Amino acid sequence: MDERSILDHQFVVAAYTVTWVIQLGYLAWLGFKWRSEKRNAERRLHNSR
Amino acid sequence: MKKLALGLFPVITVLLMVWGYHQAIYVAPDDALQGYIFRIIYYHVPSASVAFLFFAISLIGSIGYLAFRRSNPARALAADAWALAGAEVGVVFCTVVLTTGPLWGRRAWGIWWTWDARLTTTLVLWLIYVSYLLLRRFAAGPQMQTLAAVLGIFGALDVPIVYMSNRWWRTQHPAPVFGGDADSGMKDPTMVHALLWNMLAWFCWGMLVLFLRYHVERRHQQYAAQEAEEALAGAD
Amino acid sequence: MTSALWTHIVKDLRIEWRSLDAIVSMLFFSGLVVVLFSIAFDPRGATSQQISGGVLCVATMFASVSTLNQAWGREIRHQVMDAQRMAPSSGAQLYLAKVLVNFLFVSIVQIALAPVFFIMYNLHIAGNAWILALVLPLGTWALVGNGVFFAALSIRSRNRELLLSLILFPIFIPALLGMEQATTSILTGDSDPWLWIKMLTGYDIIFTTASLLLFDVVFHAE
Repeated sequence: MDERSILDHQFVVAAYTVTWVIQLGYLAWLGFKWRSEKRNAERRLHNSR
Repeated sequence: MKKLALGLFPVITVLLMVWGYHQAIYVAPDDALQGYIFRIIYYHVPSASVAFLFFAISLIGSIGYLAFRRSNPARALAADAWALAGAEVGVVFCTVVLTTGPLWGRRAWGIWWTWDARLTTTLVLWLIYVSYLLLRRFAAGPQMQTLAAVLGIFGALDVPIVYMSNRWWRTQHPAPVFGGDADSGMKDPTMVHALLWNMLAWFCWGMLVLFLRYHVERRHQQYAAQEAEEALAGAD
Repeated sequence: MTSALWTHIVKDLRIEWRSLDAIVSMLFFSGLVVVLFSIAFDPRGATSQQISGGVLCVATMFASVSTLNQAWGREIRHQVMDAQRMAPSSGAQLYLAKVLVNFLFVSIVQIALAPVFFIMYNLHIAGNAWILALVLPLGTWALVGNGVFFAALSIRSRNRELLLSLILFPIFIPALLGMEQATTSILTGDSDPWLWIKMLTGYDIIFTTASLLLFDVVFHAE
């Protein structure tokens, strides 16, 4: 493998990694948001009783 | 039955993702001109398609909210949730496009960035929808959805103008075009298949995340509405 | 011109005449911006002709934002907004009046700034100078038209001033491109400015129409 294709390979890995970091990072954030909404709903239910 | 389908969809999506990855990295050949770096296309192009689709969904949601907010408030709220979900997930996918693109461009064409019609439009679109999300965050009160919907429409009006003006700019000052012949270079059927599989995979992933975001927003709307009701009731 | 539109215009002009705070602060701020750009991008350099168009446009942008930030400032205090809403005139007239008044202010600043600019950048116009008198107002209208509208959008937000810039600049990008390209092509005489003038005109028509149609929605959303 020559110089050029090693760098190419690294860039492809970087691109794919960045994609998944962004996507999974957002999914994780969404998960936190879901949890906080659930907690809000439960707290409300608890308060109204 | 519905629960089963609901549970199955993420599984199918993940499987499609794995299959798409396999296709992109192990099955598709190196591009004749660009070599190995061309494989970024299998993540870059599907992300762009999903981003544009979701921005369109956001626009429809904005219009729907403005149209229904007096006559059918329940439907208007749902429309607003779609507007927000479409914009937010669209920005996520657009961010992917704007980061994978320069990585591809640097190796394939030697430049990180160029101001051609496609790139500029994508960047401006990203800026517009980020500003939309910021408005939603900073604006106070129940009027926020109306204001955000109006901004969504303005933003959408701007996009074709940006594209056209950049095309004219480029006819006057020709400059490198990113990926101009990338699609026309896909003569190998295995490459086309790899792209289509990844299109499907990312589309499914996008829909999954979009529905999740929509659902979370609907819950939040319910919670906010109930809080408002309580505040009014307790104000006696 | 309807009487309501005229009333709004006269009211804003009269208030400005008494205090002059919008124009004075704009003049000073945009002058400052021109000086800063002159230091940052050497005006004696070979590229000064090419970049001067862009510098003028960006200086106008920053100057306009400082006045747009308080475009609705007078209406926010003392519930003037509510009084405006109850008035029998349509919101669109109030919007148009504000745009016209602010357009006048920014144009005054541009006219005051232009000689300073020419001197600092040693500009000589290779193309048709009178076309500049067409390009600058078109670009300014795009900026002020959208700016007044978005300023109304961001009235009730926490970071009102910051939000205005964040919302306005992305949408303004094509108009900025058109204004800068047209100005540069007039100054350098390199290319044809008419394509850009047509684009700017189209942009102005589209966004002014959208603003007039949607302003009532925003106005009564408060």
